[in-house]
Amino acid sequence: MMNSTSTQFVPSRRMGIYEPIHQMSMWGDFKGNNCLDASTPMILEVDPKLDNQSEDTSHGTVGHSNKYDQEASKPPDKVLRRLAQNREAARKSRLRKKAYVQQLESSKLRLIQLEQELGRARQQGMYTGSALDASPLSYAGSMNPGIATFELEYGHWVEEQDRQLADLRNALQSTETGDVELRIFVDGGLRHYCDLFKMKATAAKTDVFYLMSGMWKTSGERFFFWIGGFRPSELLKVLLPHLEPLTEQQRLDLGNLAQSCQQAEDALSQGMDRLHQILGAAIAKQLGEGNYLPQVGAAIEKLDDLARFVGQADHLRQETLQQISRILTTRQAARGLLALGEYFQRLRALSSLWSSRPRESS
Amino acid sequence: MQKALHYRNLLPSSAGGSAIPPPGDNQSGSVNLRKLVADNAVVVFARKGCCMCHVVKLLLNGHGVNPTVVDVDDHNEGDVTDQLSRIVGAAPQFPAVFVGGELFGGLEQVMGAHISGELVPRLREARALWL
Repeated sequence: MMNSTSTQFVPSRRMGIYEPIHQMSMWGDFKGNNCLDASTPMILEVDPKLDNQSEDTSHGTVGHSNKYDQEASKPPDKVLRRLAQNREAARKSRLRKKAYVQQLESSKLRLIQLEQELGRARQQGMYTGSALDASPLSYAGSMNPGIATFELEYGHWVEEQDRQLADLRNALQSTETGDVELRIFVDGGLRHYCDLFKMKATAAKTDVFYLMSGMWKTSGERFFFWIGGFRPSELLKVLLPHLEPLTEQQRLDLGNLAQSCQQAEDALSQGMDRLHQILGAAIAKQLGEGNYLPQVGAAIEKLDDLARFVGQADHLRQETLQQISRILTTRQAARGLLALGEYFQRLRALSSLWSSRPRESS
Repeated sequence: MQKALHYRNLLPSSAGGSAIPPPGDNQSGSVNLRKLVADNAVVVFARKGCCMCHVVKLLLNGHGVNPTVVDVDDHNEGDVTDQLSRIVGAAPQFPAVFVGGELFGGLEQVMGAHISGELVPRLREARALWL
């Protein structure tokens, strides 16, 4: 019994503190085997204890002697294999460490980028600067608590989104998934977007400029921004190639939808431009007198309108998503949702990939 | 392009006013909105300078509709709200859009119907469209 298991387990009485691999390495060393990988630390650590143990073993029981004989006459290729596994484990450990360090480096770069953005936002923002701690780490805590809550919830929303997309991808790739199951995914996905719009509506009440400038999004996403979020007509253009094959009726309906979307966007954009002018004019009224409260007060009243605009834009996004879902079959809608989700994932990744790209040393 | 009626122009005392208040129904000098919305296919009530109203008008114009616009200001807001509340059963939010004599809704409803394709049939029903 002992013989067969001796290679696996260490008799606790004798060498309980050593792992099996250590034992084998030690035996390799004991046998004068020079195939040890010098860079593997665990082997080196075991060495100092080698002499003591070997003295003990010579006084060991018959059972143990048998075991040791077994070890000593073990075919060298098994020992070699064990050593190779050691090296492999060590190599993997080094790779993991390297990956971890790289991740730390890119996080550091992201942190620097975020600090810069926060600095800019603080300068441009509506918050009274004197109330804020200068340290960027405490910025999130001392800013509007409604916004801090929103950012936290948005982080959770993104995580949930990633999870849903992974599940949806698996479901679509499996041949067993039926329409009933896909429908659940589609409805869940649409509801998830609705949740986001509700969150934004609440946040708009506390700080509408924050919403309007997309401060919670990555800089890559902000490049494609339109009134607090994605542009619905853009969404259709992204999805269309991934929905084929389409029936003629579907093609017609989607074409009409694209046109309606564009018209609604144009109308909202023009309304926004107007609000922009009105707001600017309200703030610029009667400059040079030193007193700003009446003008700023009047401007603040208009911010309600701004919040409603963001709400209308989100409503347009929601209506567009729902109309698309009405036009398509369940399977098409599922594919569309997956494509859309991945598109946004790529946009989110764009900024962090850019900021963590290897730079040429100057 | 569109008929933007100034509220005061609708008062019976001014020349060219088209709305006649029925006796005893409203305060003297105010316009009968019930008749107004019944007589006009599309009526938009909005605060002057409201940007959402601007969006509503753009959307309707895009369909070839010339809505009757009633400017709501500090002077008439109370009266307008009263009358519309009686017509609709609840205080309306501005901008308020009436199609075919009935309250259609605000910007949100108009936009929703525009996207879902329901707007055009409703406009056609109310004879707001010529095609």
